[in-house]
Amino acid sequence: MVIASKYWEIVKIDAAGKKRVQEIPTAKKFCTQIFGTLNISDAEVQSQLWKLYTTKSSADKHLLAECCLLCFISWIIEQSCLKLAEKFGEYHGFSYADLLPYVLDDDGRFPRNNSYESFSQRILKSFDQKRGSLASWTSVKVKQNPALSQFLLECGVYLVSDWAILNDTKPKQLERILREFHCLTVKEIEDYKKILHSYHGVYRSQRLQQRSVGIRGKCPAPTNEQLQQIANSLSVESVPLKTSDTIITRLQNLSTLLRQYRVHVRGGLLPADSLDAVVGSKGNGLIDKIPSTSTAIANPGDSEEEESEFLQFYRPQFQACLQHALATVIDLRVKQLEKKKGDKAKTYLQALQLLHCQNIKMTDIAYRLGLRGQDTVTRLLKLKEFRADIHQQMLVKLKETVKNKVYTSYSIEKIQSLEDRITIALNEQIHKVIEEATSPSRGDKSSPKSIFDDRLCKYLDSRNKFI
Amino acid sequence: MTYLTTTYSTIQEFEKLPASAVELSLEDINKSIEITTEFSSEQIKWQIYINHLALCVFQKWLLNREDKLDIVIDKCTLFTPAIATFVDAIGKLQVGEFKICLLTVASLTDEKVSIPRAVIDLPEYIPHFYVLVEVLEEEEMGIISGFIPYDQLVKQKIDTQIQPDEDWIYEIPLTWFNNNLDTLLLYLRCLEVTTISLPIIPNHSHNLSTIGNELALLLPELKEKELKSVLNWEQGSLILTIPELFNWVYQLQSQPKNTTNNLYLKQHLVDLIKLLSQPVLNVGRWLSDELDEIAKELSWVLLPSLSLASEMKPMRTPEEELEVIIRQLHQKGLEIPTQARGAYQDFKLVGIPLRLYAVTWHLLEEYVSPEWTLLLILGAPALSSLPSNLKLRISDQIGILVDQGLNPASGDSYLFTRVVGGWEEKFIVSISLMDGIEVTLPTFSFNLET
Repeated sequence: MVIASKYWEIVKIDAAGKKRVQEIPTAKKFCTQIFGTLNISDAEVQSQLWKLYTTKSSADKHLLAECCLLCFISWIIEQSCLKLAEKFGEYHGFSYADLLPYVLDDDGRFPRNNSYESFSQRILKSFDQKRGSLASWTSVKVKQNPALSQFLLECGVYLVSDWAILNDTKPKQLERILREFHCLTVKEIEDYKKILHSYHGVYRSQRLQQRSVGIRGKCPAPTNEQLQQIANSLSVESVPLKTSDTIITRLQNLSTLLRQYRVHVRGGLLPADSLDAVVGSKGNGLIDKIPSTSTAIANPGDSEEEESEFLQFYRPQFQACLQHALATVIDLRVKQLEKKKGDKAKTYLQALQLLHCQNIKMTDIAYRLGLRGQDTVTRLLKLKEFRADIHQQMLVKLKETVKNKVYTSYSIEKIQSLEDRITIALNEQIHKVIEEATSPSRGDKSSPKSIFDDRLCKYLDSRNKFI
Repeated sequence: MTYLTTTYSTIQEFEKLPASAVELSLEDINKSIEITTEFSSEQIKWQIYINHLALCVFQKWLLNREDKLDIVIDKCTLFTPAIATFVDAIGKLQVGEFKICLLTVASLTDEKVSIPRAVIDLPEYIPHFYVLVEVLEEEEMGIISGFIPYDQLVKQKIDTQIQPDEDWIYEIPLTWFNNNLDTLLLYLRCLEVTTISLPIIPNHSHNLSTIGNELALLLPELKEKELKSVLNWEQGSLILTIPELFNWVYQLQSQPKNTTNNLYLKQHLVDLIKLLSQPVLNVGRWLSDELDEIAKELSWVLLPSLSLASEMKPMRTPEEELEVIIRQLHQKGLEIPTQARGAYQDFKLVGIPLRLYAVTWHLLEEYVSPEWTLLLILGAPALSSLPSNLKLRISDQIGILVDQGLNPASGDSYLFTRVVGGWEEKFIVSISLMDGIEVTLPTFSFNLET
């Protein structure tokens, strides 16, 4: 294998904000000089460049080696962004080009401009060959980049930092996880517990102080000063860890152990996460998969006769209650959204109208309303909650109405038992109505509107008249 | 040593924020920081901070879905510094008619939820629903992630025979919790509160009188130790449920390390335990011309309404004796209204006969909450002379109010003092000789209704 061009070509963002690959001729010449046409592995190339970069015998070679390594890093950064966009981009509405500007800030000039330290330079500076490959170090640093994290968070994707995980871990949990999940020895666990204790004492209280002066955002890596304080408080507790370097390594290892456990637990126990993950390329895939909530209330005795008696009561009430529930739920949501910045409340009503009255797909709604992606529409409409709230508000109203009506003729005990039956009957009925609204055939525009959609659209129309 | 981090793929660690996630505002964060300032321990500060963020998340979550359910946070344990410190949960929250206990699960997801024993085993803290709140401090976000009704938790606890550990914590599997929060909302909106029955809150004064002496010895050890390392659960549960006691422990732990105040606190503790466990004497009844059962048992003698008119006689009745004293006090500037009533009790301290007069009246002013007064006069029968090292001490729930001896220079043949408190306040009176010989009288209270 001939040495790849990724050591003399840099991925960068040009003045117009476009991604561009730029060749750096001096770097190419330098690589050819050193490696020639040798069949040499990436690891060996990097190891040699690293040696030239760190042994500062020749300033020229140092700068050239740095330049080659920075080129390599830029490719890894691009790769990382690509992977992120592949996994989350479509649903959360961002492309990899949106991510690049946060992490590719090297202008690719050689010789370099000394006054500015680029992100890739910081990666290289913080790299230690003993700790693994430059590629994996780079991807670690990319995922820890604060600006990128902030952007991703706004898109609904987040990554808990090592430091947040350590902040949130209690000694007891640490002990159990290290013993049961990682099978560490008693001594190892004791050491980690002491380190965590010292870390909490220093880092958490300074985090609170920073918060109190208005500093926001991700937890930064501990500063050298903090590491020294942690080391000092540890030496009091007689753990032989003197240097900041060993401390940070131990802390990071601990956080990784906890993270592995976390990934294990979240993978196994929280399938609910995947609810939002359904990529809605076809209509409302999301709501079709929502499980029924109708089993929420305990099983009553079943008497069909009384049930039909009850149904006679509620049928005339049903439409009125649906109307009432729609108004209550939509009003509250609008009221909450009005407190937020921008036109969120108006956009919400529009999105609701497009979805229920015009049968528009979620991805198209996003496009029409200028929202980032399906995820944003999902967050705005919160259909799962919307459905449950309508259902429950109807229940509240129907129970009131029916109770008022029968109160005079039934004993308290009777009403109590009736209430159980009401609950079951209503759950079924309301469910049926909402089921219609979310059935897979909704893409077919010729199909008649369900009662639910019909009422909802009429309600939205009437709201519009008053806006 | 190598970075373990490299064994994990970058992408796997990124997560989707659920659509139901609640954003924390700058105001929420500032408020949460602010309430930590009254705590001194760094570890506790963080606990309070995260728990308060959890409270903000829950309030917002509920308000986004339902604005007809009132959330009452006044009694929330987070605002009782002692309990917020000792019990890592957010208890005594009220939503509509339901009691709620929030449990914070932080960004480290755990298969087990640590629940303090107090909120599962002590009726004072038992809620209708336990609700899990995931706080993402760093992201300034929160997620309501599960709930379990109390009755279900108890049933599962019995079925699986899960026991609390030595740290007074139950480690409850996350899988017990229902992660459909719409069901919680349905319950809050539609369920009758009586459907989930909660245990009745017991009266602790009996238990306290049996183990009061143990506690008086053990509690001072809590200065630099945790509750669980000094007390057994039976003792601990009393501390956690009696506000005067947990406040006392909290006060002890909040003192600087080398304070001279410890002696004072210890003395007050002894009084406090007696005040809480002893029979209570209601002096309010005196105003309706009667003694309550306790007073009768202890041979208190009610005196007729006060009059300052009678003349000096060589052989005085206790009634006349009190009048003499009152006249003297009046000359010293102490105003005693005519509706005041007094009583006295004769008793002996290591053979020395003593007499204690107690005079009470209420203070009703238009703009302040009603108060009552207790005037105590300690002398010897027939005003013979008192031992010079005699002392009189009065404490209430908060501290020692009076600790005074006889002033030899004054030439007085009695000790007197006066305390004032709200109608719910009680006083405990101890009389001692310097060499540790002491007698404590029953707790004085003031209630006009019974």
